[in-house]
Amino acid sequence: MIKLIPYILYLWLVAMYQVFLKDITSIYGVTINLPVLLVLGVAFYKSEVIACWFGFFVGLVVSAVVPQLMGWNMLIFASVAFLAFHVVIRLNIESLYARLLFILGGVLLYNIIILLLYRSDSIIYSFLTKSLTSAIYTTIIAWFFFLFKDRRITLQKFRSIF
Amino acid sequence: MNWISSLFPKNRRMVHLVTIVILSFILIVGHNVINPYLDQVVLSVFYYPFAKVKNSFVELRAVASKNEILRQKLVYASVTISKYEEASRENKRLRSVLGFKPPFGYSLLPAEIISIGGEHIPVSAVLNKGADDSVFVEQPVINQQGLIGKISMVSKDFATVQLLTDPSNRVAARLAVSREMGIIKYTLAKGMILDNFPNNGHISVGDTILSSGLGGVYPSGLFIGTVKEVNHPEYEPFCKVKVEPAANFHALDELFVLKKEK
Repeated sequence: MIKLIPYILYLWLVAMYQVFLKDITSIYGVTINLPVLLVLGVAFYKSEVIACWFGFFVGLVVSAVVPQLMGWNMLIFASVAFLAFHVVIRLNIESLYARLLFILGGVLLYNIIILLLYRSDSIIYSFLTKSLTSAIYTTIIAWFFFLFKDRRITLQKFRSIF
Repeated sequence: MNWISSLFPKNRRMVHLVTIVILSFILIVGHNVINPYLDQVVLSVFYYPFAKVKNSFVELRAVASKNEILRQKLVYASVTISKYEEASRENKRLRSVLGFKPPFGYSLLPAEIISIGGEHIPVSAVLNKGADDSVFVEQPVINQQGLIGKISMVSKDFATVQLLTDPSNRVAARLAVSREMGIIKYTLAKGMILDNFPNNGHISVGDTILSSGLGGVYPSGLFIGTVKEVNHPEYEPFCKVKVEPAANFHALDELFVLKKEK
């Protein structure tokens, strides 16, 4: 049960992001895809089953605002987690750029699926202005996260600038 | 989920994946029945606390902006109130002036004070009327309380009044009842005094002092003040008389220049 606590906190983070962080962090309507980022992160570091269940519940939390698509969202997130896990175990994704490419691909895949499901008038326009930009924005955030995680940027280094 | 997994020990992984897929399909197919209830649970467990915090912030910001607007309104209102209060005071003053009549043969030229000079006490005042308004040097200046002084300098649009509080100013005065005379002057040490008043004269505290009209500057009968204190020193020709000025020289506002009618 204790092992579940981090995942519950992640789910709360997703909810918190959906409620107000999404608006705060958006730049000209382009938002970070934090739910997919978390699912990819779990798929990267944890097992396949855990990643799929986490994706399933992230889909549940994300689709609370559109309950009629709840099942689809859960399936999509679980599928993304499943695919991501298999990419991780089959390819060597140790370097920073490989990890960023993995994140970019994962978010882009999710965004394209969502784009095809909720098809709007101009798919190419939506892809360029929403899906691609959101994937790039999310990758940039992931890049900062990895820089901190690999201790390439530390608070001490950051303070020494000022 | 462990009890389900234990039923299929060899395909544990598959059981999990199949369960996920089946649950997803159940929610896809029965979205009208199950999803609203599930949605309520998710909203109340995950979303509600953050939505409450967000609403509090939104309310707080709304209250802050409202507070800012109210503060601005308050400042505007207090400025307006002070203007109205000033207008009310002016109204009272002008009402008291309405019943005020000049001495015979003179007319009143109302003037406002622009500035007041003097270090410890006001000794001069600049009026907003000048030569263009037929103001000349040595014209007496009064207000509704009594004598204030005389015009000492005139320019095109402005005139300077030498107040009674200027130690170099002298006014020929007399007591209203006994008609005995003296000279009104102001000293920094004693304040306003009635000088050159005979020691054996009939004077007592509270007596009214008026201008005598003998100096040639001020017309007779202008109220100067009242006797505040009288001392009769022995073997001296004059008594020492302290005078309470009729006008409050620290609160001068509208003044009137006395113009001789032709």
